[in-house]
Amino acid sequence: MEDYIVEMRHITKRFPGIVANDDVSIGIRRGEVYALLGENGAGKSTLMSMLFGMYEPDRGEILIDGKKVVFHSSNDATAHNIGMVHQHFKLVDNYTIAENIVLGSEPMTKMFGFLPSVDMKKANREIAELSKTYGLEVNPTDRIEDVPVSVRQRVEILKMLYRKADIMIFDEPTAVLTPQEIEFLLQIIDGLRKAGKTIILITHKIEEIKKIADRCAILYRGRLVDVLDVRTTSVQDMANMMVGRAVDFNPHKSEPDYRGTVLKVDHMTVKNENHFEVVKDVSFEVRSGEIFAIAGVSGNGQTEIADAITGMLKIDSGTVTLGGRDITHLTIRERAVEGVSYIPEDRHGTGVVMDFTLRDNLALRQYYRDPFSRHGILNFDKFQSYSETLIDRYDIRSGQGPKTIIRSMSGGNQQKAIIGREIEEHSKLIIFVQPTRGLDIGAIEKVHRQILDERDRGAAILLISLELDEVMELADTIGVIYNGQLLKIAPASTMTSHDVGRYMMGVKEA
Amino acid sequence: MTKVFTDGLSFAIPLLIMAVGAIYSEKSGVTNLAIEGFQGFGAFIGALIAVLLMPVLGNGSQAVIYIAMLAAAVGGGLYACIHALLCINFKANQVISGVVVNILGLALTTFFTSAANTAINGTASNKFVLGVSTRFTVPGLSRIPWVGGLFQNMYPFEIIIIVLVVFFWYLMYRTRFGMHLRACGENPQALDTAGGKVELTRWIAVIISGALSGIGGICFAYSILSQYSPSIYMGYGYLAIAAMIFGNWNIGTTALVCLIFGFAKSGGQQLCIAAGLPSNYSDLFLMLPYILTMLLLIFFSKKNHPPKAAGEAWDKGRR
Amino acid sequence: MNTKKKGRWLANLLNSEKYSSFTVSVLAIILTLITASVLLLLMGKNPLVAFRSFLQGCGFLPKANYGGGSGMLSDLTDFLNYLAPMLLAALAFIVGFKAGLFNIGIAGQMLLSGFVATIVIGYNKNLPAGVAKPLVLIIGIVVGGLAGALIGFLKYKFNIHEVVSTIMVNYIISYLTGFFINNKFVDMLTRTSRVCAPAARLTLTNIQIGGVNCKIPFGILIAIIMAIVVQFIFDRTAFGFELKAVGQNKNCAKYIGVSVGKSLVASMAFSGILAGLAGVTYYLGYTNTIIPKTLVGMGYDSIAVALLGNSSPVGSIFAAIVVTVFQQGANYMSSAVGVAKEIASLITGILLLYASCGGYMKGLARGVIQKDLDREAEAKRAASHKEDAGQGKEGER
Repeated sequence: MEDYIVEMRHITKRFPGIVANDDVSIGIRRGEVYALLGENGAGKSTLMSMLFGMYEPDRGEILIDGKKVVFHSSNDATAHNIGMVHQHFKLVDNYTIAENIVLGSEPMTKMFGFLPSVDMKKANREIAELSKTYGLEVNPTDRIEDVPVSVRQRVEILKMLYRKADIMIFDEPTAVLTPQEIEFLLQIIDGLRKAGKTIILITHKIEEIKKIADRCAILYRGRLVDVLDVRTTSVQDMANMMVGRAVDFNPHKSEPDYRGTVLKVDHMTVKNENHFEVVKDVSFEVRSGEIFAIAGVSGNGQTEIADAITGMLKIDSGTVTLGGRDITHLTIRERAVEGVSYIPEDRHGTGVVMDFTLRDNLALRQYYRDPFSRHGILNFDKFQSYSETLIDRYDIRSGQGPKTIIRSMSGGNQQKAIIGREIEEHSKLIIFVQPTRGLDIGAIEKVHRQILDERDRGAAILLISLELDEVMELADTIGVIYNGQLLKIAPASTMTSHDVGRYMMGVKEA
Repeated sequence: MTKVFTDGLSFAIPLLIMAVGAIYSEKSGVTNLAIEGFQGFGAFIGALIAVLLMPVLGNGSQAVIYIAMLAAAVGGGLYACIHALLCINFKANQVISGVVVNILGLALTTFFTSAANTAINGTASNKFVLGVSTRFTVPGLSRIPWVGGLFQNMYPFEIIIIVLVVFFWYLMYRTRFGMHLRACGENPQALDTAGGKVELTRWIAVIISGALSGIGGICFAYSILSQYSPSIYMGYGYLAIAAMIFGNWNIGTTALVCLIFGFAKSGGQQLCIAAGLPSNYSDLFLMLPYILTMLLLIFFSKKNHPPKAAGEAWDKGRR
Repeated sequence: MNTKKKGRWLANLLNSEKYSSFTVSVLAIILTLITASVLLLLMGKNPLVAFRSFLQGCGFLPKANYGGGSGMLSDLTDFLNYLAPMLLAALAFIVGFKAGLFNIGIAGQMLLSGFVATIVIGYNKNLPAGVAKPLVLIIGIVVGGLAGALIGFLKYKFNIHEVVSTIMVNYIISYLTGFFINNKFVDMLTRTSRVCAPAARLTLTNIQIGGVNCKIPFGILIAIIMAIVVQFIFDRTAFGFELKAVGQNKNCAKYIGVSVGKSLVASMAFSGILAGLAGVTYYLGYTNTIIPKTLVGMGYDSIAVALLGNSSPVGSIFAAIVVTVFQQGANYMSSAVGVAKEIASLITGILLLYASCGGYMKGLARGVIQKDLDREAEAKRAASHKEDAGQGKEGER
């Protein structure tokens, strides 16, 4: 028997309708960096959520230091010195950094000598010390809503350290970071390993595993495929095992064939509802047959650019021209008719009406015009035939075809429905925002193929993505946004991902 | 002028304790339009206990009032469990739940007031006649020109409520429970992963909300006519909610707004009397708090920051 | 085993797409009747007798004896006379609700339109019935529509929660109309507003049918027509489609180019129109006078109707009948059984409570079914595991 700090034996966990983990057994050695590799939906996060006490396994057992444990809540896991940084940070936006870190294990004092109260002074002091010790610089009294993503991640790590965690779980920690920030994070993780911590890294990025991990477990559709020694396994082998088949790393991308300018954004400034300038004096052009990608760290104004072009947000100054026509003051619908399609970032919140049927959701761009409605009366025969066509053409899978309530469909199929609906408009301009977020590799490949096909058809594509890999893979031209400004616009072939990363952090011309 | 202050304060303070109740619920992430129902039901229990105790303790006994306040708090807290159950466990739409609780509360109190009266003294009256609360004047402070009225003819319950408000301010902003409660309303996931108990915290918050509304309700009953009837609450619960909205879910500012409401109401009445208008015209002045509320809403609603997670049921399984 | 099967049968009914709304409503009614029975038993009354007398009071069952000139048919037409505004008010709530708005100011909108119609047309003695009655309806539509639109506008323009604003406006309307009635239009004897001219009234009274005094409420026709119109609008028109989209996801509605602000105002105006019609059929139909400073309970009862009818316009016809039986039958029940008539509102409140748990009941049903499905899947999986046990071992290593 090996000396495992964590052992999970024969873990099975099901959620309504799916088996998230199917008889998975893993053992993690003290002081190693152990990676969990798998596509979205392979069950990595679920497995670790059980180790962190957020769910209880339906079957199987968990051993810490060789002793069997049962976790009913994350409190129990914390008591066993387990900590977790979730993919979506669990932070209270209007609390200070220190308040967020101590939440749940607050230092107490007595007000006027008798009233119990939270001792924030002590908390601030302790956290300042802690952040110095581990090189994780933060200002304890800053509010979370005022600090960037990379600092928020540091707060999450400090949260674990404050709770004296020895086993640290990182769920997709690099998804939203720049290459430079990723390198910094990997250094931190290495430092933690040297300090004797055991690290579990959930990721679908094989390069990171190659760089930092000692061993790697591969999950596929809820089952454990294999556990590998990272040093002796090739990247290609890991990728194939993760997807369950051979992966084509580079989609075939033809040489661009630019025709005339379609979209012209000229000195555009956009303010948010608090009258704060989120897009500052931005100018760029997208040509027919071109994929123009905007790269940037989350929250730098990229979604607002998309919203302003489509009319969801008001443009404060500057102009937007589409195919030579000034559309700055047109309504959302007028712009859509003029030739703007939009795949929004928030699929559930914006892209579909969750409790409408698939049929009705596919008709959202058409319902008001002939032949979908005449004199304001809807023609459901047309709704039906149109949805059948799209379902077929875009391979949208659902339980009951057109009458399926879209809420009950998988994320990938919901996205297929949105993309299909928007592409079918044959617009001059198609805006994709985070088109592959949360999709598995197979679906990602398909979406990338569709984007390239639309480009080759002659559409102008504006791609906004937080995934730098995606930008590097698809873009013909890259614009890098930082703090609401486009710092750099250049042909994709002239920039490496490190160059882009540097601009993403606000470094101007070197 | 002193009457404006005296009456205004005796209206503003019960309103404030209800608004604090509303703040507790909403800050914990449970939208609460049910204050009106909590107040009515809590006051009903308080008044019922008072009516039952008065023959025992003697008609003039002031102790009855304090026992009634306690009973109203218990009654309001218990009734609030319906809202908590619907919103937290059944994950019903919180706005619907609030409206349902209000309508049910009115129906319950109307029916049982007459049923209780029939049982107690044989007549199906729709009100409980309560004892008269003594009043007191703070020596010294009451002589201050202009604002002296604030300290004249005060009800003892006003002091109790002020103490309660201070305590609940401390509970929300200085204690571990308060810190968890506010986190619940902003990002329940954060609290859950940090080891806090989201559902329990919300349950306690909603029950506090009911208890405080019940206290507000019984105090209104004592201060308005020294009697309780299900129909004396002219949308006061909703006024408290409006006060909370202008107060931006902050206890301090909400207190200020409640004072403005109170003085608008008493000022209107005194204006009507001072102008020598016939009593018929009092209806016009009674509209003032509601009109003022609408105006304030028009000017201030857009800038508000309600708790982020308010209105959403929390599902542990969802990430 | 038997109970498990039974549970699943109910669960299937609750979960089925076709029947679920109907089943949930029926379940809510059954639970309400049980609760009310317990209450009545505690008060020492026979619930069956009480329920029968509710129905007798509404003319569905014959009473033991009738006063001079009245009969079952008079009770039934009285019932319809009350049903009309109830149904219209419920439709008003539904229209707002579908677009995501809670119009709980229906009572106020009813009062305002009823008041304006009363003083403008009802007190005009010279108009012939053929002119007065349509004018009353038009006033109801215009005044109610404007009052509703105001709420929608405040919501869209200033982000004012409609539940708060409608309540505030309710009291403003109540005091304002109360002031005018008390000062200008009061009948000194009854302390209510003076009665309207019969020509303006939407209900014909003292009609002899089969030897008994009956009423003929035009309101019920209007109400049923409106139910069908509302159903058609939401089922078949682009306007209704847009309102539903706004109600379920404002962001998405905006994204596909619907003007969300206009839709909010339009749906509240539409809701107000229906409330206005409810107002004129109530104040110039069911009653013929206005009690000053009093908002009718129907404003809230209509919410119970709408939720019980699962916010389906045609479904609400049946829900309205159920609620109206309790409200309208309460007087007779009270005299026959000796329970305060306020129990009608209590029963409506309980009905409302159970109806609002509909989503939870459906969720429970779905859970039961899903568990069964999972159990089956588990069994299948276990069987297949046994088959490829050899391979499984290798995979584990």
